[in-house]
Parts: sequence; C-alpha cells; structure tokens
Amino acid sequence: MSSDHKFEGWCGLDKDSVKGQMKWQPYDPKPFTDTDVEIRISHCGICASDLHTLRSGWGQTPYPCVVGHEIVGRAVRVGAAVTHIQPGDRVGVGAQSGSCLRPECEECASGIENHCQVSNTNTYAGFFPDGSKSYGGYADYSRVPGHFVIRIPEALDSAAAAPMLCGGITVYSPLKREGCGPGKRVGIVGLGGLGHFGVLFAKALGADEVTVISRSSAKKEDAMRLGADKFIATNEEADWADKYALSLDLIISTVSSPDMPLEGYLGLLRVRGTFIQVGAPEDKLPGFLAFALIVKGCKIGGSAIGSPKEIQEMLHLAVEKKIEPWIQERPLKDANQAVVDMNNGKARFRYVLRNEKHEA
Amino acid sequence: MNTDYTFQGWLGKDAKSVEGNMVWEEFQPKPFTETDVDIKITHCGVCGTDIHTLRSGWSPSDYPCCVGHEIVGTAIRVGRAVSNIKVGDRVGVGAQCSSCLKSDCEECSAGLEHHCPRFVATYNAHHTDRSRTYGGYADYWRGPGAFVVKIPDGLTSAEAAPLLCAGITVFSPLKNNGAGPGKRIGIIGVGGLGHLGILFSKALRCDRVVAISRTGIKKHDAQAMGADRYIATDEEKDWAKSHSRTLDLIVSTVSSPKMPLGSYLKLLRTNGQFIQVGAPEDVLPSFSAFSLIAKGTKIGGSQIGSPKDIAYMLDFAAKEDVRPWVQERSLKEANQAIVDMEEGRARYRYVLVNEANAKL
Repeated sequence: MSSDHKFEGWCGLDKDSVKGQMKWQPYDPKPFTDTDVEIRISHCGICASDLHTLRSGWGQTPYPCVVGHEIVGRAVRVGAAVTHIQPGDRVGVGAQSGSCLRPECEECASGIENHCQVSNTNTYAGFFPDGSKSYGGYADYSRVPGHFVIRIPEALDSAAAAPMLCGGITVYSPLKREGCGPGKRVGIVGLGGLGHFGVLFAKALGADEVTVISRSSAKKEDAMRLGADKFIATNEEADWADKYALSLDLIISTVSSPDMPLEGYLGLLRVRGTFIQVGAPEDKLPGFLAFALIVKGCKIGGSAIGSPKEIQEMLHLAVEKKIEPWIQERPLKDANQAVVDMNNGKARFRYVLRNEKHEA
Repeated sequence: MNTDYTFQGWLGKDAKSVEGNMVWEEFQPKPFTETDVDIKITHCGVCGTDIHTLRSGWSPSDYPCCVGHEIVGTAIRVGRAVSNIKVGDRVGVGAQCSSCLKSDCEECSAGLEHHCPRFVATYNAHHTDRSRTYGGYADYWRGPGAFVVKIPDGLTSAEAAPLLCAGITVFSPLKNNGAGPGKRIGIIGVGGLGHLGILFSKALRCDRVVAISRTGIKKHDAQAMGADRYIATDEEKDWAKSHSRTLDLIVSTVSSPKMPLGSYLKLLRTNGQFIQVGAPEDVLPSFSAFSLIAKGTKIGGSQIGSPKDIAYMLDFAAKEDVRPWVQERSLKEANQAIVDMEEGRARYRYVLVNEANAKL
C-alpha cells in the first residue's frame, strides 16, 4: 500500500484566515504508527468550531491549522494493530482523534473516551502525546488513530454521513442520554447545522413532539418540513415565555449567544425537565435565578460530541430511520468562500466540502 | 373535644419585623373542614426562609405573616375525611400545606405534590378558599391532613422539627441523585441545611463526604458530624485545583450571589452534578458554558419533597440515628432567635419550644 501521500490542505495562518484567507499548502501530519489509519478524504463538513478555531475565538490557535472534523473518505493505509478497518473501507472521523485508552482511565474504560482527562486530542489544532500537531479534513488526506475511525454503513451516503460525525453526534448524544423517546416533548433551540440534526434525531428517537425555538419565523417552514411539530419565534411572540411555560421535558440548545433568553428557556421546562447546552458561547452564559431550577427541580447541563461507540450507534439509527440531513455540497477548492458563507449564516443547513479529486 | 382554642402567634407586620419586631397577636386561620387537622404546636424550627419572608427579601410578603414551617406538635382535632392521622398523634408539617391533589394533575398523581402548579406554602400564601396560610411560630396550626406526617418514636420533637424543611431539602437531592456507597459527596455551607447534608450523606453510606465552607471555623464540628474532609475556600490557596474532579455530587446550601460557582464546578467529576438548594436573592453567578460542556456536568435545583418523601426520610433518620444539632429557644424569645439566626449564630438549628404546650 502506497504510503507517500502528499499531505496538503487549506491552512489557517492567522486570525484573518476566517475571512476567507486560508492558504493551500503542505503540512507535516503525525508520524504513522501501527495504531493509525490514513484516509483519502472525499467529504468534510463545515462546523462552526472550524470558524471559532480559525479566528482563535476560544483561545489562541496554534497556527498553522487545518480545520474540518466531519471527515469521510476511504481508508488507504491501515496500521497493523487496527483490526476493525480494512484498506478500501469507507470511513469517517469526527471531532476527537485521540484519548489515552488506558484500562485504568475511568473515562476511557467506561466508553466515554470523549471525556478522557489524561490525554484528549482534538482532530485539529490539538496535540498528540508524541507532541505532533493534529490536522483536520479541509485537505486531501487525514492521518488519525484508528480507534477513532468509524466505518460508514453502506446505506448511508458520504455527504450525509460527514456532518453527523460532529454536528449530528453532538445533539444525538444528549438526546439519547436524557431519554428522548416516546412520551417526551423535546425542544430544540436554534435551527442551524446542529439544530436541524436535533429535529431529525429527536423524531427518529420517537419523541412525541418536537418544538423548534428560534428568534424569527424565517426558518419556520423549514422546521416543519424537517419534521418539527411546533415553532416558537421568540423575537416575534412577545409573551412566548409565559405562553409556552411548562411544556417541554428536554431542551437541547444549539445557540451560542451570551444574550440568549436563558431564563425564558428554563421556564419552558416541565417539572424535572432538563436543558442541555451544546452551543459554546465565546463568553459566559447569561445569569439566571436559582429559583428557575429550584421550584421545578430542573437541571441545566452541557454536552460535547460523543464516543466512537455512540457515533456508530447514531449512524445505524440514521440508516434505520432513513434520516436525510439537509446538506449543500461545495467544492473543496471553494473552501474559503464556503467558510465566509458559513460565517454569514447562509448554510441550509450544513455545507459539506467535496474533494473532487477523490472518488466517494 | 375542646375546639375553643384561639389561634395566636408571632406576626410580622412589615419588613422591619425581621429585625426582632414581630408582635404576638391573634389571627384568623382557615375555616375547619373535614380534610383538615389542627395541631397544638410544641416545637417549630427557625428556617432561613422565615427570615427572607419577614424581610420581603425574595418578593413582597403579604403582611401580617406568621412564619415557621418546621412544625411539630399533637393532633388535637382531625377531620372525618383524614385517615392517616388520629387525635393524640405526634405529628408535623413542613413548608407545603396543600396542593390540588386531583387525579388529573400530573404532579399530584405522580407523588410530586411539591411540584403541583397549585402548591400552597405553609405561610405567606392562600388556600383555594382564599383564606391565608399561617405558620408555626404560634400556639396552633390548621391545614390539610394530607400534608401532616406522623413523627416516628425514635426521634424527639426537637430533632424532628428541622427535618421537616431543612432535612427534606437536602435529603431529596441526595437520594434522587444516587448518593450512597461508591459516591463522593460535597456539601457546601455548614449551617442548618448543610449540617444535615453531612449527617444524611454519612447515613446513606457515601464513600466520602467533603464539607466546604469559607473559613475553618466549622471544621471541628463538621468532622464531628462525620465529614471525611473539609475545604475552607477563603483559606486554602488553589483549592479548586487541588480538589479538582473529586466529587460525584455537590449539594449547595449557600445563597450568596458572590459564591465561586465556577470553582465549585471544577470539583465535579465527569457527569457530576451540582444541586443548588439555597436560594439567593439575586441571579446565580455567571459561568461559562464550557464548565458544563467539557465534563458533561449538570447544575440543578431542588426544594423540599412530597409528604411521602418526608415520611420516608423521618423513618430513615430514626432508623439510622440521624440527630440534628439543635439549640432549643423559648417561643417567647422568638424575636431574639430570628436576630441570632440572621447573624449566623445557630449551631446548627434553632427550634422554638412552646413551653406552655410542651408541658402536656
């Protein structure tokens, strides 16, 4: 198997890269070991995290960086110690590409590798234990630890699978864990890439009713076409917080504004309801009264991605329930423009960069 | 049966009553119905809520108000429709005196009476017949028998009183969130609620109980109550870092808007929970969404419990020898007692003794 792939991709060199100034250039991936897999990338979803990282919004990014962590392609080189992947398999990798995997690590040993404290590597702008930097999927090839590489089910298109690897799992994991299913009334705040997956997965898991909560009614029609049962436009219905109070068992919030009406959202919860924040603001969450939680015995939590096993489970559900994400393919060569359009909120609802040099 | 007793008690007439200006006067209780019980009060605990209410701290109070909702005494009149209580029983009532109890109420029919939308507080509230509710700094109490619980033989009246509000308020979140063998619990605040949090956590056989307070003043007592560790946050440098990720569940009884919430959250392990029971008169300190997202942690709230929960807790306390640290004060000195309570002098719960009634 050829191992002389040229690792080249769209590199962010500084904060201005997010304005459409990434440069196509070579970079040095981690040294290949027998626990790694190399992927010839055909598709890569654009995630808001890509923008936050290009912009150093969450902290100083170690430039140069290659973003993109919704990667799908063909395994073209498989380390000898990797047993679940064969060369030629159609595979993907999401936002995490490394954890310690030691038996004495409570998190890794209990299947929540995404919470490993010992050694946790992001798919891009992160560092492996050997000190090498991790590079993402706006590129030709990806080289990552095989443990985090997932086989894509045959019945699932690569373009549909790619955004599930970060956007999808980030909402699927808390929906599943918090009991989304028959008998539950679920709310999804924000109808963007993550939010639209929230609606699709909440319905697929069997929730009785799904309500989309957005600022304006611009996305109402789309919400209903995705399968939502109700829609609340918080900037348009003056008394929404009172009108819909005590109506939802579980809310997944995908928005990331420090101005969001958090107390109003908490008011929507039924007794013992739960609000899970997955969108990460670049600032603190708005303040709220302790009473908002105390009186109804409610909880507010957070969630980030999921483990490889959860991702696998989610992909199988997607096949079983014929989930069709709303994606818009963009050629990889137009990545800079796609990033600008993503930043301007134009995606309906996920851009997937298509590396046209490589077959799907 | 002698029913010609008069209802008299300590009434707060305005916000200044909290400074030790309650006056002893007669008041008009609800008209007796066949679902009610009259209690000749012998003991009543002094709760932080009594202070907030006299002061109109959370919202304007409905003066004149008679506070006190950790009430113990003897049932002296029992309505014909009340089956759980007989005349002569030693009984108690806590912070809730009524709910709708209708079969079509999701909360009441699920044993969550304390979350009923028609929750009626034991004082500073109104029954459905519009009559006002009065609490236990008094000679007699009248209210629905459904919210009156029997005190088990193994507890003295002075010990049982604080359990009726403070006790259940910490016991519920401990029990509902899995406190028990294998778990490491943190209790923030070593006061009326906090000291009971320590006692109950030990009685539930938690692996480790950590008391968290501002200074070391209460360390000796906390250890005597059974705490395995003690953190003095004003005195131990970098405490959040040295004790990071050590606790599965934290119950926070403090109510200062200045509390170091972000640092408390650092103490939690992956998927840990922080349950707030103390209610600040202001918004909770703001915190970053990452605090919850990175570790999949949750912040929740809890208040009291249902009558069935309270009965269970009382039996548990009697069986496991949970002995609240009470200081008896004469009901005649209620004004001084509330001033001392506000000054933080209780070690760790004042119980007002109605000496005339207790002489039975």
